[in-house]
Order: sequence, then C-alpha cells, then structure tokens
Amino acid sequence: MQNKDGPRAGGDLEAATSNPTPDFDDWAKFGDDDIMQQQTAIRAEEAEKTPFVGDKEPLSSLAAEYQSGSPILLEKIKVLGEKYAAIRRTRGDGNCFFRSFMFSYLEHILESQDQAEVDRAKSNVEQCRKTLQSLGYADFTFEDFFALFLEQLESVLQGNGTSISQEELLLRSRDQSISDYVVMFFRFVTSGEIRKRSEFFEPFIMGLTNATVEQFCKSSVEPMGEESDHVHITALSDALGVPIRVVYLDRSSCDSAGVSVNHHDFIPAVGGLPNASVMVVVRICGCL
Amino acid sequence: MQASRARLFKEYKEVQREKTADPDIQLACDDSNIFKWTALIKGPSETPYEGGVFQLAFAVPEQYPLQPPQVRFLTKIFHPNVHFKTGEICLDILKNAWSPAWTLQSVCRAIIALMAHPEPDSPLNCDSGNLLRSGDIRGFQSMAKMYTRLAAMPKKG
Repeated sequence: MQNKDGPRAGGDLEAATSNPTPDFDDWAKFGDDDIMQQQTAIRAEEAEKTPFVGDKEPLSSLAAEYQSGSPILLEKIKVLGEKYAAIRRTRGDGNCFFRSFMFSYLEHILESQDQAEVDRAKSNVEQCRKTLQSLGYADFTFEDFFALFLEQLESVLQGNGTSISQEELLLRSRDQSISDYVVMFFRFVTSGEIRKRSEFFEPFIMGLTNATVEQFCKSSVEPMGEESDHVHITALSDALGVPIRVVYLDRSSCDSAGVSVNHHDFIPAVGGLPNASVMVVVRICGCL
Repeated sequence: MQASRARLFKEYKEVQREKTADPDIQLACDDSNIFKWTALIKGPSETPYEGGVFQLAFAVPEQYPLQPPQVRFLTKIFHPNVHFKTGEICLDILKNAWSPAWTLQSVCRAIIALMAHPEPDSPLNCDSGNLLRSGDIRGFQSMAKMYTRLAAMPKKG
C-alpha cells in the first residue's frame, strides 16, 4: 500500500506550496491538472508495457496469446503466417495507426533505397504544405513537423552524411520527441486533405459522428491520441500517394471456403507508389 | 525543450508583427521567461463583459506545442466555465482537443468566444451555470456585469 502512495509527486507539491491566495505558479490547485497528471501516469504505465514501436516478433507469439481463445483467430493467424514473417506491436495510445505507418514507410524506403519514391513523396509533401497554407494555417504552426518528417525521409536514404541504420530508425521511432512530431505531421497532412476535399469526405464523416468536416478535423484528426478510422486512412493515403493495406484480425468467418483474413486496401486516388508496394497494418480487436 | 522554445519564439515574432491586427488581444511574453505569458483581452460587445479588460496568465509546458498551455483568468470573472476562485477555464481546446494548430493568440480568441457563448451544461462556476440553466438571463447578466465593473474596469475616483 505504501508504494501506491509513494510516487504521488502532485500531492507532495500541493502540500509544500499550499498558499491561501491563488498564485500565478500555483497550478497544482487545479482539478483538471490532477486529471492530466493521472493521464500522464497511466501513459507512463502503458509505456513500460509496450514501446511506441515494438521489436519484431514471430506470428507464433500472437498465436500464443489466443491459445485459449477463438479458434477462428488462431486459424487466421496461421493464414497470415503464410504471407507475413513477423509482426511489430505498437503502443495503443490512439496514435498507433500513424505510428505504424511511419515505421513501415520509412523502413520500406530504408530497405528499397528508392530515390524516385522519396522524390515523389517530397513533392506530395510540398502539395500538403500548400494545402494547409491555402486553408489558412499559419506556417509556423506546422513547419517544424514537416521539417522533422523530411529529415527522417532524407536520413533513411543511404549515401548522405546523415544516413541512419535500421537500428537507428527503430530508436528514433521510440524517441518521443521524434516519433510524436512525425505522428503530428501525419495528422496535419490528414486534416489538410480532408478539409481540401471536404465534399468527398463529408458523407463519411456524417456517418461516423454528427460533426461538420471542420469540427471533425479539429476534434478527431488534429489532436494527438485521437484514434484513426477509415476517413483518416483514406485521406493520408491519398495525400501522400502511398497505398495502405489494413488486415483485419477479427472473429468474422466466411461461409464455406475455409478461413481467410479480411483486408482492406486504400489505394491513392492519383499517382502513388508503383507496383502497389503496400504498407501493411494489422488491426486487432479495435486497435490498430 | 528546444523545440518549444523555437516555436514560442516564432509566436513572439508573429505577435509583434500582428499587434494591430487584433485590437481585442494584447499578448505579452515575460521579459525573462519565454514559457510565461500574459494577455489582456477585451470583453466582447453585447455581453455583460463589454467594457471590461481581463487579464489571462499562460504557463507553457516544455512539451508545447504537443501539449496545451495552461491558461487562467487573473481578473475575477463571473462565467459558468471559469472557476470563480482560481480562474481556471473549462475549454476543450485547452484539454483533450488541443492540437499544435492552435497558437497562444488563437487560444485568446477562443476564450473571447467562450465569454460570448458560455456552456452552462459543464459549469466550473455552478452558481453562474444554474442561473443560465434556470433561464434567469437577467440575474446572470447583472451578476456578470457587476463583477466586470468591480474587477475588470479602471476604478473611478
């Protein structure tokens, strides 16, 4: 029991600075502050369990988790195993789709050393920048995030002074100051794409929530920790011109012809990676 | 830490450049600490806060702009979404709906909008919220006006 009470720094702080008159620095008095502190604590606890991006694991480790669970899931994991050698887990903090996309895409460039793809991606990123500007975003609100992503894109190409290895890519994906900035870059890009083509996205957004396109972007796309759905994935794939495949590991089963794993492909509306080198994301139990 | 400093510096320059663009907001950074800001905002017209000038205090966290600034009223205000004693503000963009697309300046604008459009269903000031919820607009307005006069206007004489 003592351990539980020990690390409550907030409580100690409050006692030490307790002051009858509200003071400029006396933030500890805030009710919402306590809530935020608790959220931070929960996040820290989660962080100990899973890094932002995990190590490669064989699919059998996934199967082991469902050993006493649904036989359909086990069957599907077996089917997945025929196509994919390994999985990486990502932390379920609401940013998991963007984070897994970041890692898979950069890893793909690192392995393929596809200069043409990097050039293509960069010109799409430029388009995204113009989109945000035309929507009225002040440059300084998003430019740091853009710069950091472009830096990562450059560094996975070998042969320049800042090139990085696979291990370094993994380290960076786990480094909050880099990883969160790249996630935020994707959020800006996604929001810009949705608002630019609001007529296209409006009916889908109406189906998800009761919000306008603008409200949806402000409340469900731009804030960190907001989970991604079809709309986000479509917009990101279109904006960057990168196809994405989401594999659904759920308990649905098809009628007779044996077990197959459902997947959904997001193919960019224009251009895009040739030969559909698809980034694969597996969705398990509601969380990407 | 470095990133937040750089971003705040950009906002500082933007504030200097746009000083005249928004006459209702005067944002100023602490001379010695770029993580501490204060703002003077004008009470919106056709509200009980009209004619008052309200001071806000900003404490910016090191993880800014990934995390929101902490903002509160230093000037006493009678408003359903502002804590009467601490000045804490209940506004979604300062909590879970925050994103780096917001700036200190646009947060001020959002707070002015909140002054004009209170949300009595999630009150931090229950007395104020109850007056509005029970339909006593006149009671709410006279209380809010009184506190505007007492706390947010220059003393006469």
